[in-house]
Amino acid sequence: MTAAGIMTKEVLTIPGSGTMLDAFRLLKEKKVRQIPVLDGQNRVMGVITPRALMKAILPKYVSDGLVADVKFAPELPDFIRNIDSLALKKVVDLMERDFVAVRPETSTMEVAALLVNPGKHADSVLVVDDGNRLLGIISPWDVFRRLWDYSEKKKKG
Amino acid sequence: MEFNFYIAIAIFTLVYALLIWDKLNRAVVALLGATALIVFGVISQEAAIEGIDFNTIGLLIGMMIIVFISQKTGMFQYMAIKGAKMSRGDPWRILVSLSVVTAVLSALLDNVTTVLLTVPITLLITEELEVSPDPFLVSQILMSNIGGTATLIGDPPNIMIGSATGLTFMDFVFGVGPVVPLVAVGTLIPLRLIYGKSFRVSDERKKRIMEFREAEALTDRPLMMKCLAVLGMVIGGFMLQRHLHLEPATTALFGAAVLLMISKEDLHGVMEKVEWTSIFFFIGLFIVVRGLIEVGFIRLMADMMLEATGGRLITTGFVILWGSAIASSIVDNIPFVATMIPLINGMAPSFGGDAAVLPLWWSLSLGACLGGNGTIIGASANVVVAGIAHRNGHGIGFVKFMLLAYPLMLFSIAIATAYMYIRYLG
Repeated sequence: MTAAGIMTKEVLTIPGSGTMLDAFRLLKEKKVRQIPVLDGQNRVMGVITPRALMKAILPKYVSDGLVADVKFAPELPDFIRNIDSLALKKVVDLMERDFVAVRPETSTMEVAALLVNPGKHADSVLVVDDGNRLLGIISPWDVFRRLWDYSEKKKKG
Repeated sequence: MEFNFYIAIAIFTLVYALLIWDKLNRAVVALLGATALIVFGVISQEAAIEGIDFNTIGLLIGMMIIVFISQKTGMFQYMAIKGAKMSRGDPWRILVSLSVVTAVLSALLDNVTTVLLTVPITLLITEELEVSPDPFLVSQILMSNIGGTATLIGDPPNIMIGSATGLTFMDFVFGVGPVVPLVAVGTLIPLRLIYGKSFRVSDERKKRIMEFREAEALTDRPLMMKCLAVLGMVIGGFMLQRHLHLEPATTALFGAAVLLMISKEDLHGVMEKVEWTSIFFFIGLFIVVRGLIEVGFIRLMADMMLEATGGRLITTGFVILWGSAIASSIVDNIPFVATMIPLINGMAPSFGGDAAVLPLWWSLSLGACLGGNGTIIGASANVVVAGIAHRNGHGIGFVKFMLLAYPLMLFSIAIATAYMYIRYLG
């Protein structure tokens, strides 16, 4: 089994020139966990993730981990204010550029290994062609479901 | 001999130039210099290993382990918040209390760790007060270097001086410690005059500070008790160094080992947090300086300096104090002190032995530690604070910092000069 065989082909995307307000609407209406950001030629520039959004509204010294535990502090006025200012920002400024992408011929085991890599924090893996154009997306659940189906089929067959 | 002499100087100059250029990792530069000395046959590998001051290395590693485990408990943040709350939300008093906490912690921990612990709390507090964090951050940079001057373990120059001379923790406390509060007050007064008026905040904002729950910052009380016991034991060990006949490295490493055992922390996780880059920087540098000693360059420099100062202790003391302050404000004080130590040792016989040059060690300590306050690149802690501030949208520019800090640094050296004159050189 390869990445091409298990990926979801219909992916919700957003152009780099879009605003965060557009991204919020998509996240809310379509209930997706993350949105790939594409340039004019369908090439992947980055990914909008809930983690990236959280990072953007928290003070940097908190998101950098310098104060990992903030339960001693009352809510900061800027923390709430930041949400309003976020809506007007461009997605390219807030997306995560360090996303995980594979080629369609990558093995499922490699995809699974990338999803559990503790250094990457990837909720899903993007599948791209040689020109970095988006072909599909794979979540951990996709990997597991396809493996399960395969195993069931083998038992029956 | 001739060849070795010039090769050693060339390598030393190159290492210094690359350190100032600051494009290559400083540990890589120092190790390249050290190994080049061996490759070119200037010194043997045995002599290179002998040149490494394992007391400094051991003390740094031991303290890094103890501090890393201790800071996980949140006790240092508790101190910072408690200090701010005791100031009842008044910005100037908060600045003073955070400065005091920074200075005290810097005397007992390394300066970079201190600012990493206190600066985020400062940013949190100034955000709640809705005031500019700049004066708070500037004060904390200055205080981290001033506080570090007071003890043997407070700042790397002191660790190196103590290790090379056998001067103990208490020698530093009594030798340079008394001038530290004077320098701290002498720095805070001008800051008050410059920033005092910008510190007006409403009662409502002051109240927000009182809403901080400092007890919640303590994330692991049982571990904290263990850390406090070990920290107490280690500092007690430093204080009793002369009676226990234990080098500071032994005390720190013993404390670290005990804490690793009783805390049941993951050994690999803790070891990863030791700043190996700094450790290998020190190792490389000790070898490079050893090369200069072996070829007789340091001896030559010592003689030249004695000639220039007319062999008078008072002149030599002041030249070292001011010279090391100005040098440390521009270049890393660690290589500077590593070079000065054999230089002062080389001058000792001319002044009548080791005891006679004691004031020169204090001059070097005060100059090298306080000099770091002159510029934003003068000490590692300064660079770290500027970095955190920048990422949080508060730039502390090179020129802006220098215009304020350089006169304050010179003022602190003037106070140190008066202290040295009254106590040792007059």
